Amino acid sequence: MQIAEPLAVAIEELSKLPSIGKKTAQRLALFILKMDDDRVDNLLKSIKELKTKLKSCSRCNNLSEDELCEVCKSTKRDKSIICVVEEASDVIAIEKTHEFSGLYHVLGGVLSPLTGITPDSLKIKELLKRFEKENIKEVILALNPDTEGETTSLYLAKLIKPLNMKVTRIARGLPVGGDLEFADEATIGRAMINRLSI
Amino acid sequence: MILASIKLKNFRIHENVELKFAGNLNYIVGGNGQGKTSILESIYYLCTTKSLDAKTDSEVVRFGKEKFEIRGEFIGLTEDEVRVIYDKIEMKKFYLLNEKQLRKSSDVIGRFPVVMLTPADHAVTQGLPGQRRKFVDSVISQASNIYLENLLDYNRTLKQRSSLLGKMREYRSTEMMNEFDAWTEKLIETGTELIERRIKFIDEFSLYVSESYYRIMNKKEQPSIGYFYLNGFKNLKVKEHFTKLLKEKKEDEFRRAANLVGPHKDDFIFTINDVNLKTYGSQGQHKTFQAVLRFAEFFYLKDITSKTPLFLLDDVFGELDAARAHKISDYLKEVGQAFVTLTDFGNFSFLKKDRDDYLIKLNGGKVVYA
Repeated sequence: MQIAEPLAVAIEELSKLPSIGKKTAQRLALFILKMDDDRVDNLLKSIKELKTKLKSCSRCNNLSEDELCEVCKSTKRDKSIICVVEEASDVIAIEKTHEFSGLYHVLGGVLSPLTGITPDSLKIKELLKRFEKENIKEVILALNPDTEGETTSLYLAKLIKPLNMKVTRIARGLPVGGDLEFADEATIGRAMINRLSI
Repeated sequence: MILASIKLKNFRIHENVELKFAGNLNYIVGGNGQGKTSILESIYYLCTTKSLDAKTDSEVVRFGKEKFEIRGEFIGLTEDEVRVIYDKIEMKKFYLLNEKQLRKSSDVIGRFPVVMLTPADHAVTQGLPGQRRKFVDSVISQASNIYLENLLDYNRTLKQRSSLLGKMREYRSTEMMNEFDAWTEKLIETGTELIERRIKFIDEFSLYVSESYYRIMNKKEQPSIGYFYLNGFKNLKVKEHFTKLLKEKKEDEFRRAANLVGPHKDDFIFTINDVNLKTYGSQGQHKTFQAVLRFAEFFYLKDITSKTPLFLLDDVFGELDAARAHKISDYLKEVGQAFVTLTDFGNFSFLKKDRDDYLIKLNGGKVVYA
């Protein structure tokens, strides 16, 4: 089958995006083709600006327009608590809850010798420096509960504990509002093991 | 729960075949190369998403075709349709339960429990320790989802830790030592949970093994299973001992750049009247013990999960003496739904086909119910 080259290139580029397959890429490309020029320009501009206007916060490595991110700049945050997360997307997820008013620190990944991610390639040194400069009293480790995330938590806990700070790990358990009967067995089992006294 | 029917498309020798099954015994009869074992294999796929001996999925696709499809209809409290589709070109496998895709194998395993006795089981009693761990892991995993997830977690930790050990062979910084300690702690956490669960399992499972042994053999002999973990440790303080052994073997691990301590080194020792089966057992005793283990697995899973597993028996009567085969055939009547492959029904005079049982003959792609 012969496709006009610009279309073929657009499909190829779009299908490199996560969770976009060949078919979806084709639909998107054909849709863009039909869009008004203004809208296409806006789309291009917003994509371009993602790269030009956003950078990493110099303090916590969160996504930011300025030197410091919105959270670090804010005067309303509790500056004695740091929540350590893997990626900037995790900050967005926690911010949506409105339950946390402290600061963040984005590691940029988790330890994984298999893929060559060492403590050096993560923002761990930067985290330790913050403990010297800022008046931090508590650290919350909010990494994903998978093999690498949990090991990274263990690694960080070992580094932080001698510094005389409170270290906690976020709880694993049942989703709120979900019925017990609908949760999968592993989740219920874990929740049983990590049960709390009341 | 029973499997009422299956449809196979381009699955090994079967281009397009549909089979209906009895709720009791199904004898699948045919000459060599008629695809008897593939029928059992396809049922195994429906229950576990995988082939029994972890062959690659593309090997299973009929020669010259692009994809296979298995469709199965389970009837229990509800009617469930399962489809397994594998596409060789895209190298993708889909598992659909009532047209809804299940993505994690841990969501599938245990849902339709299955037990299979095959000639390849000789590896369980005669092969390397890894084969026995695989047997034990597969039984506990079908009974406990937490065990399965913990096992996957442990195996992932092993891979990461050995990769780090490989890098530390070149040089070791303090930073690397700290990271190594974190992976070791993770190894102890998940490994201890595995060992403790295996201890408990062997304790419970031994009763089922004895019972099945009495049924197939006699009460004069006493079978047992010993669990060998952490270099022959017997105490229940697993975590402390695991930690201590890892400390002792630390330099060895660095030198050899490998994980030397943990449940991935465990073994299980089968004995009859305290005599080691692996070392001193006759061929007949091995065959019998393999059958005993699968019957024990069947009744164990049935009690634990309150679901009756499907029982698949591939070509097992050929190598047993008539008395043993007779007892197994009788024992099978208590099982529920079972699938038994045979080269020729007439050769096994001890097999009794009840009125409700099916005798399914495969010949050149044709299916005849006799």
